[in-house]
Amino acid sequence: MKTIVLLLFFSIAAFAQKEMPSVALKSDKNKSYNVKADFSEKDKLYVFSFWATWCVPCLQELDAINDNYAKWSKELNMEVVAVSIDDARTQKRVKPLLNGKKWPYTVLLDTNQDLKRALSVANVPYTIVVKNKKIVYIHNGYSQGAEKELYNKLKQL
Amino acid sequence: MKKLLFLLVPICATVQVTAQENDSIQSPEVLEIAVDTAVVPEKEGVRVYGGFESNAQWDLNDKGRNLPHPDDPIRSNNYYLINYQYKRWTAGLQLEAYMPNALLNYNPGFEGAGLGLAYLTYKTDKFEATAGYFYEQFGSGLLLRAWEDRALGINTAIRGGRMVYRPNDNVRLTALFGQQRSGFKVSNGRIYGFDSEFNLSSLFKFEVSDLSFGASYVGRYEKTDIPNPNFDELTNAFAGRFNFIHDAFYASAEYNYKQDDAVLDTQNHVDNNFVKPGSALLVNFGYSKQGLGIDATFRRMENMKFLSEREPTSTGDLVSTSLNFNDKVLNFTPSLTKQHHSNLANIYVYQAQAKVDYLGPGIMKGGETGGQIDVFYDFAKETAIGGKYGTKVALNFSSWYNLPGQYRLAPADYETKFFGVGTKYFSDYNIEIKKRLSDTWLTGIYYIHQYYNKLWLEGGEEVNADIVTAEASYNFTEATSIRLEAEHMWADADKKNWAGGTVEFNLNDHYSFYVWDIYNYGNDEELMQTHYYNVGGAYRKGATRIALNYGRQRGGLVCVGGVCRFVPESTGLSLSLSTAF
Repeated sequence: MKTIVLLLFFSIAAFAQKEMPSVALKSDKNKSYNVKADFSEKDKLYVFSFWATWCVPCLQELDAINDNYAKWSKELNMEVVAVSIDDARTQKRVKPLLNGKKWPYTVLLDTNQDLKRALSVANVPYTIVVKNKKIVYIHNGYSQGAEKELYNKLKQL
Repeated sequence: MKKLLFLLVPICATVQVTAQENDSIQSPEVLEIAVDTAVVPEKEGVRVYGGFESNAQWDLNDKGRNLPHPDDPIRSNNYYLINYQYKRWTAGLQLEAYMPNALLNYNPGFEGAGLGLAYLTYKTDKFEATAGYFYEQFGSGLLLRAWEDRALGINTAIRGGRMVYRPNDNVRLTALFGQQRSGFKVSNGRIYGFDSEFNLSSLFKFEVSDLSFGASYVGRYEKTDIPNPNFDELTNAFAGRFNFIHDAFYASAEYNYKQDDAVLDTQNHVDNNFVKPGSALLVNFGYSKQGLGIDATFRRMENMKFLSEREPTSTGDLVSTSLNFNDKVLNFTPSLTKQHHSNLANIYVYQAQAKVDYLGPGIMKGGETGGQIDVFYDFAKETAIGGKYGTKVALNFSSWYNLPGQYRLAPADYETKFFGVGTKYFSDYNIEIKKRLSDTWLTGIYYIHQYYNKLWLEGGEEVNADIVTAEASYNFTEATSIRLEAEHMWADADKKNWAGGTVEFNLNDHYSFYVWDIYNYGNDEELMQTHYYNVGGAYRKGATRIALNYGRQRGGLVCVGGVCRFVPESTGLSLSLSTAF
């Protein structure tokens, strides 16, 4: 019976609208950002990529995007925001890893996992594309080459 | 509890249907309901969000390992979280069902189905108030961290009230009180917390620097039955911290002090004649510029297990207590070592030793001290070592020890020294090199040396292990790829040598399949030379992921993410599903 109740909830809710939640996070440079208000340039595509220092596919995805970043941002009005879900165990590795990897992204630290919870992110890598404060595309997981699919999708959005 | 569930259904349905109005595709029927039950005007926009997650297993018999078919083979953990945001208000609830039983070796407090959490928050730019359950972390969590990790079966949310005040960008004050969640109940201790954080950069008009300070207090009040206790019923704990960034350099430190409190004896009972204060110091600094990152972390913890109830509850199997499930634990003391992804590098996993732990006359632990150093270097493209695509190198070293000093078993006491190290618990020295060879080939090689003092950490032999892993991925097309990984571990004791391999096939961005096996061929006992094979696949689309696995799980003390459990050997099928809306 309870399973049915659960399923009912789930099926109804699946149609709900998707606006970016208003959550404040610190960046790796200790600056405060509101993920809704501070990433709201009209018609610009914001790619929020959830990652962690211990998540190998996440690092591969962000490396792969980095290899194409100059080209992509020339062709599209887009920006990648890398949201680290590292907790106290691994959070200290974020900063050195970033520059070791030469990522040009804005990096946000979701240490208390507020944004992760607000978006019900179960596993990383997890990518959402935000346009005009609305979530227009969601993708979870990464397999090698999937960044090209993301790029094709971005061109359509 | 059942009644409560059903009461909630109409409420949820009402608001959800209302939220639907903002979407264009609707049947007239649904619209009608929406109009009938709408509690807010049409354009006000209730944001509804949440997710569903289910992890289920079906244990089977395994003749190869002499495992019989279990009596209760089907188990599942299910979570349904839904939140409603309307203007400055947010409300949410999480329903949880552990049916027919929770996954094997999860906290027995998670039993049946019910309301796991519920909360109501009012939030403005400067002020935020929450009633109900909430998650929180002060500083690095060495005094307080209330968190959830479904994969580990941890939920230590606090039930009570919390207020956050941010008068401007540079100040943040948090005050909270409540009781910590344990299963579907809450633990006995009453928790009081206060945290403050001040950023001084704008005060000093720093341009390229950033300086912030923080101070926190956590109090736990729990009545005790012990006559004439030698400790206070209210245990106070304080912490101070700073964080400094200047250009490519950064440094931070945090000191935590916990007032004297009764220490647990070998049977995990409160010992009124063994009363000690606790402390923890965490220091971190590093240098990070384009292409190079160096980071060093040191931590010393003494008697720093901070529980929301002094005495852990026994689970009745004579082996485990609530400590094994990270239940009723107020603070967060993760092991500061590299989290490896190789299967064999996760056999000897270090767990931080925050607790005073006397295992016997020769093995008396007061805490831990040690550190970790990371170096990341990127050899640029078009250089001798970098090659056409660049080469990425990561080095990591960590070593952890008991606190130096004098220990006495009976009557129990100790006197530690601040500097220096005691018996070595663990060390891990590793190097990782990643190189793209061409547009289609990506390769990586890892070497890991581990020392694991099993005698001191869980009972057994000291182990020295060397692990070599090589992996390569090849793209057939843009989206179709294969990943191969081979690994080997040379270990001089315990279960000795292992070999392993993984093949992972990504058909496209939606379907992936894998098969892996680790083989304990070096085990001295021939019967224990087992293949632990696993095969599975996953389907991903949008926010949804469905994964299926069949295979053999290792038994014994299995430690993941700060939780160590005695896990029986098992073989079976597992299914996990997660989605968000």
